Amino acid sequence: MKRRGQGLIALAFLAPALLCLAVLRIVPAISAVVESFYTESLLRGGRVFAGLGNYTDLLSNQDFRQSVGVTLLFTVLVNPIQVVVSFLLAVLFTQKAAGARLWRTLVILPIATPPAVSAVIWSVIYRPDGLANGVLERLGLPAQPFLTSSGQVLPSLIVLLSWIGVGYWMLFLIAGIQEVPVEVREAALLDGASAWRRMVSVILPLVRRPLAFVLVADTVSNLLVFAPVQILTKGGPNGNSNLLMYDVYTRAYAIGDIHVAQAEVVILVALTLAIVAGQFRLLRGDQ
Amino acid sequence: MKRASLSVLGGVIGILFFLPLLWVLTNSLRPGSETFAHLTLSWQTFFELKPTLHNYSALLSSDVGRATLNSIVVSAATVVIGLAVCASAAFGLAAFEYRGRGLVFGIVVLSFLVPFDAIAIPLSTMFRDWHLTNTFTGLVLPGIGNGMAIFLLRQFFLGIPAELVEAGRLDGLGWFGVFRWIYLPLSRPALIGAGLMLFLFQWQSYVWPLLIGTDAKHILGPVALSNLQGQNFADYGLVFAGAVVLTVIPLVVIAGFQRYFVQSVSSTGLK
Repeated sequence: MKRRGQGLIALAFLAPALLCLAVLRIVPAISAVVESFYTESLLRGGRVFAGLGNYTDLLSNQDFRQSVGVTLLFTVLVNPIQVVVSFLLAVLFTQKAAGARLWRTLVILPIATPPAVSAVIWSVIYRPDGLANGVLERLGLPAQPFLTSSGQVLPSLIVLLSWIGVGYWMLFLIAGIQEVPVEVREAALLDGASAWRRMVSVILPLVRRPLAFVLVADTVSNLLVFAPVQILTKGGPNGNSNLLMYDVYTRAYAIGDIHVAQAEVVILVALTLAIVAGQFRLLRGDQ
Repeated sequence: MKRASLSVLGGVIGILFFLPLLWVLTNSLRPGSETFAHLTLSWQTFFELKPTLHNYSALLSSDVGRATLNSIVVSAATVVIGLAVCASAAFGLAAFEYRGRGLVFGIVVLSFLVPFDAIAIPLSTMFRDWHLTNTFTGLVLPGIGNGMAIFLLRQFFLGIPAELVEAGRLDGLGWFGVFRWIYLPLSRPALIGAGLMLFLFQWQSYVWPLLIGTDAKHILGPVALSNLQGQNFADYGLVFAGAVVLTVIPLVVIAGFQRYFVQSVSSTGLK
């Protein structure tokens, strides 16, 4: 009896959040799924059921297939790079060394910059007469096209996204490393283990959980990269930076094919959900 | 010796990360026409001996200035309403014993873990039907339910002793009184951490404000800045000044609450 009463009171406190959840997450998700099975009919006026038509259209669409390929390539490149770099930086900045706190702060600073603002900044850096080519010139290297080259556009985006993100992910790993008792870290040092061995056999296993969290959360956020593509490249050149999120956006608003765009959203969300479900299991599983 | 080389390595990396921001700051202090004058790299690329605040005063009367004010209003509203919604939900998940509590918790956190941007496009077509485009309500709404904030607050609430609650109940407090007069006052650090999450989510958002609020009265800072940069013959002095302002505001907020920020990051990553 008491339990039942408590449940109802709890529900009252949860109601605003559950309402947000329903209206802002679940309803649009369902609506995307439903709309993805319909199509606009000029003949009959209004929408008609299309079955899997939008999905088969998408799968046979060259731009979509290229976008999937570009997104997969991007995912395979950007996530390992960012996780490894964040881990190495976390190890570096947890060593006792002069100035470590200040240097760490400088690496974290770009977190404050909104991603769209970072994209604007880097659009100037990557200009033919921008900072990047200025640095190359100083080093005696030839100027590079960066964003206008099919081969360089993804690496250029990865550099910009890593500048934004690596400091953030590093914070989680630093927190994880600091959970490792100092005695454990010092003991390995006294045993005469080399720096590399200490990192691989002592620190790495002990930060497995934060590392797994960072890998999954980073993968999800990189699946949904949008601002840099929209601001810097518009998916080009020749679709070589046309990541899925931007492809959905152009399909919905530039091409105006909202039903096919909804089908693409469904595919993107299903992909994200699968990864998030994995993340959730990781978070609970090790407890 | 080894410590020294670690310092140098850390320093080089730190400075490399800092250079783009320094470059932006320097160029915001010189006329836009000079942005590309220091093409060949020299110390002048990163320092300006005769700084002018002209770009900043021009920013005040520009679209980006107005949009920055909009961003402040929208973010502040998101933090206030969002904290009320998230803290109340966390209370419902922490203070009561009932069957299915774990399940509700799982559903709430899991659904909010799906990044909002994934669902932004279908939701924006719904908001269009509901006439919420170009309204502050439309801009604020998606930011107020934040799974990570609920998660963080619940973890903190679970640590509040049951005896305190019982004592409060005996003193005649209703459940809302327990929430308002016992839980909230004891949870300042968690509330600040959750508030920071809500603030940063809203301040950094781009996809949603691009879809839902682009008229002059409702445009937000990052969207206005990207519009400015996209124009032919953009005034880069103004672009850089806008970038500095949009970065410094969250920076000041994070720096002011640094302890809580690091705490909230580490607890969501580890627990």
